[in-house]
Amino acid sequence: MARVMTDPAGMAAVEVEPSRPGLGRMVRRYPLAAAAAVLLILLHVLVFGLPLVYHASPTLANPLATLAPPSAGHLLGTDELGRDELARLIYGGRVSLLVGLFAMAVSVVVGTLAGAVSGFFRGATELVVMRIVDAVMAIPAFFLILVEVSVFGNAPAIIILVVGLTYWPAVARIVHAEVLKWRQRDFVEAGHALGAGPSRLLFRHVLPQATPSILSVAILSVGWSILTESGLSYLGLGIQPPLASWGAMLQNAQTYIFADPALAVFPGLLIFLTILSYNFLGNGIADSMSHRG
Amino acid sequence: MARVSGRAAVAAVAGLAMLAATATPSLASSRHKAAYNPNATITLATNADPTFMQWSPTAYAESDLINMMIFSGLTKWSASATPVPDLATGWTTSKNGLTWTFQLRHGVTWQDGKPFTSADVVFTFEGLVLNPKLGAEGASNYADIASVTADGTYAVQFHLKAPWASLPAYLAYYAPIEPAHILQGVKDPWTDTQFDEQHPVGTGPFELAKYVPGQYVELTRNPHYYNGVAKVKTIVFQIIPNANTQAADLLSGDLSILSVQDAQLLAHIKTDPNVQVMTTTQNTWYMIGVNQNLPQFKNVKVRQALEYALNRPAMIKAILDGYGTVANGPIAPVQKAFYDPHVASYPYNPALAKKLLEQAGYKYNAQGQAVNAQGKQFTINMPTGQYGYLVPATELVQQYWQAIGIKVVINVEPWNNWIQQVVVKRNYQAMLAWWSTPTDPDQYPYFASSAANVGYNIPNYRNPALDKIFLAARATTNLAQRVKLYDQAQVLIAQQQPYGFLWYPEDILATQSNVHGVPNANIAIDVDQVNQWYVSP
Amino acid sequence: MTAYLVRRVGTGIVTLLLVTMITFGLMSAAPGGPAVIVSMTTTASQRAALTAEYGLNQPVPVRYVLWLEHAVTGNLGTSFDYSEPVTSVLGQRFPNTALLAFTALALSVIIGIPLGIAAARRRGSLLDALITGFSTVGLSIPDFWLGTLFIILFAVTLRWLPVSGMTTVGAPVTAGNLLEHLAMPASVLCLAVLPNIVRFTRSSMATVLDLDYIRTAHAKGLAPARVLFRHALKNALIPVVSTIGLLVPALLGGSVIVESVFAWPGMGRLAVQAATDRDYPMVMGVTIVAGVIVICTNLVVDLLYAVLDPRIQYG
Repeated sequence: MARVMTDPAGMAAVEVEPSRPGLGRMVRRYPLAAAAAVLLILLHVLVFGLPLVYHASPTLANPLATLAPPSAGHLLGTDELGRDELARLIYGGRVSLLVGLFAMAVSVVVGTLAGAVSGFFRGATELVVMRIVDAVMAIPAFFLILVEVSVFGNAPAIIILVVGLTYWPAVARIVHAEVLKWRQRDFVEAGHALGAGPSRLLFRHVLPQATPSILSVAILSVGWSILTESGLSYLGLGIQPPLASWGAMLQNAQTYIFADPALAVFPGLLIFLTILSYNFLGNGIADSMSHRG
Repeated sequence: MARVSGRAAVAAVAGLAMLAATATPSLASSRHKAAYNPNATITLATNADPTFMQWSPTAYAESDLINMMIFSGLTKWSASATPVPDLATGWTTSKNGLTWTFQLRHGVTWQDGKPFTSADVVFTFEGLVLNPKLGAEGASNYADIASVTADGTYAVQFHLKAPWASLPAYLAYYAPIEPAHILQGVKDPWTDTQFDEQHPVGTGPFELAKYVPGQYVELTRNPHYYNGVAKVKTIVFQIIPNANTQAADLLSGDLSILSVQDAQLLAHIKTDPNVQVMTTTQNTWYMIGVNQNLPQFKNVKVRQALEYALNRPAMIKAILDGYGTVANGPIAPVQKAFYDPHVASYPYNPALAKKLLEQAGYKYNAQGQAVNAQGKQFTINMPTGQYGYLVPATELVQQYWQAIGIKVVINVEPWNNWIQQVVVKRNYQAMLAWWSTPTDPDQYPYFASSAANVGYNIPNYRNPALDKIFLAARATTNLAQRVKLYDQAQVLIAQQQPYGFLWYPEDILATQSNVHGVPNANIAIDVDQVNQWYVSP
Repeated sequence: MTAYLVRRVGTGIVTLLLVTMITFGLMSAAPGGPAVIVSMTTTASQRAALTAEYGLNQPVPVRYVLWLEHAVTGNLGTSFDYSEPVTSVLGQRFPNTALLAFTALALSVIIGIPLGIAAARRRGSLLDALITGFSTVGLSIPDFWLGTLFIILFAVTLRWLPVSGMTTVGAPVTAGNLLEHLAMPASVLCLAVLPNIVRFTRSSMATVLDLDYIRTAHAKGLAPARVLFRHALKNALIPVVSTIGLLVPALLGGSVIVESVFAWPGMGRLAVQAATDRDYPMVMGVTIVAGVIVICTNLVVDLLYAVLDPRIQYG
């Protein structure tokens, strides 16, 4: 009977077998995921590279030319304070994408450690860690984030920490299950017989087997993190000026939804496409794992 | 004094809605056609659930208008923004200005039938407002009142610590009289759910019919109202926290009147041919305060430079969509008798701003930065509260000051944190906020040397000459004298720039075209005429 | 079984206590103070009076213990913002959120499970790709964006549905009226969980369909539909039931934004207000309610799991 694992996204039943098909074959089998990967690469290149050719300032306000339509100097027009919309999308995109990546890093690092240690050493460690995991997952993430942000404020580092610490239990559960599965395999026992210590066994032999699962959930969690940050910013609790982020831009655009709906369309669309791509990519990887063997 | 609450960005909205569908003219006199529908319902919006105890510290902006309809004060606003008799029929002052005697109206009954007497006024002030243990909302406005005593059943006396010509204006400013026969002896009037949330009893033109928390408050006409029974039968306040939703509701016909807080929505609202829009200037002044406890801001030239650096018409255009007037002082144009338009006005002039900074001892280096004698760039820390449009306004200010070589660091904080840091602890260098006051020229609390560090004088400005003018103006009720003194004050303030004045925002009212009787004045004044509102059939 | 139950309930209570402690500690550490005390117009003496009145001048652990003492007897204190007992405010708001959440959940189950089954049966086909793709799209779309777009389309432009709120003032509260108001918020909230149900049903169903005993049933010549509903579905649905339990936190969290966009008078919106205003008693109240709901749901789901799957034993 397949061991079915759950994660908050309920994305897939994951079963890992070691095997390495070629890239070309992967692309043909999972066109959506491949397209998503391409889109993401393109997005990141644009967001980090476009200012080399597009020199409009994202912070220079022109109060006399607000909500202007696209023109030569402003390819996507201007926002509510007369700032170049495209430049703001680029700079806001940097913040949104980086927050997503860093938050993912936090959840992956913390979650992997927690899951690995509890799955490998079992006993009391497992009991405590997994109960904490249950406890954190028991509380609706948004409520907890609300409280945390109203206490600790909304500096970008705080937002990254808060969002990252929301998803680590999901990672921990997956890693825990993986480690449980792999620790009993023959190669682990062989390593133990050869004199390898427990941490070497864990980090050198067992954990690498879980890499595909971790990769999959890591990619998915970038999407969740971006969505959470933009939700927070929508409520006015996330990234604050003078920094921009797509979610914060969406918040500002609420006021202008009748006067200039495009202001709400672009950031929302970009958030949507980014999260969509991360989801397709992550699902593709998860699916590819479940079809192996 | 000020009436500002730290709650949702959109203050209470008054809406007059004419729901033709619910109107069923059922007059006995079918002989002549009614000029108005006597059974009409008017629907307004408010941002959050109200409390019916106006003096409670939880009575934020969303409770203001509702309570103005259920309760009455000693005075109220006339359509021309002056305090006129309401529960008081007239008042006189003693010669030294320290005792005011208010004659009370006879024959007024509370909505539960009991008679209104001087005991209710005494209870409201002695038992609620002036009670130091309770911390009533707005109590600091009445700090100059020593005590309130009854002078028979239908008169009261206010005993003041110092003369205060503005007392009648402040008695019209969200100062309802509460029923002694219900609340006297209640241990904690702020948590008396029976009165505060379920069955408030007032003397106003409307009484509470139904309150469904989170959804709406329904008021019905008080048939025993002493000052002209209302022409409209029902008033409903829908609880809608989101400004866009309010606008959408107005356009879909669910709201009768909307007090438009977000000027940006107006362009869209105006596209509806069934909606009429009125605008008038509010008695609110937006300002920048620089902390004059710090040496760098004590020099008047620096403050003037900071003001010249701002392009205020452009800011008004960007942030308020043009619905605002440049401000040069704390007395708004709506106070026609007192407002002086000819004081120093600081038109946008960055070159002059730089010159003034140089005169104050700053030099401009090769990068265009303004540096002091030690070579350090002039830096200003400006914590910004998340409320309304304070953040975008501050972003623009940052840009203008950076254009004259000053480095401005903005730190956006949640509203409560900002108040704690700036208002309570005065731990800031510059801030942008507003004061909203009753339509009265007395602005002493915001400039008083005695209020530096502890009161409303957030910039900590100290000028004994200005104090003297304000105190003299408080001490006389002679109009000509007051006009002269307040003019002196305005001239001095404009020159001295204790605050950097920004603008007076416009009060925008959008109504359905079949709503009438609402004067073109700010929303509080409008609600004080609520018994004149009507809906055409 | 009973022992398991007792153990689970015990763990749940401990978790709840931990959460209240953390929340209380966090809230008390927050700078700024409650909105009811800190405003632009309160003076120092007023703040002192109010602080004493609300008992906030005592040390944090003392306040926590006081709160806990009252809480176990069902008294969650009086809200600073509403001047009403927390329990009464929650009592008014909770049913509204429950209504919204259940409708959203019901919608997603009714739509999601059949879609997931269909996708599983025709794995690798265009239908499967469409369904999977569509569910991923649903998961990626920001709900506040979608909600606003819905309002503009259905309420302002087409005028089919009311803009916001739960009831129409003046009109009687009928089922039809309620459904009208529920339509948009429930649809948007449903998007928070529908994709999960679809994907999970699909993967669970797919796994089961692959199993040997299903192949055996096919080989025996049983009709595909019979195979499906008799054998596969029941087993496939077991993990799905467990997922539904896990989605309750997602629904509660999603309600925060959906309720704000549609002015739905529920607990989610209450939570945002309370956290922003530092309405300590209310924040604690909402946290407790949310925690209890989630823990209870998990418990119920686990029990259902046990009932449905005879292989699982509880010691």
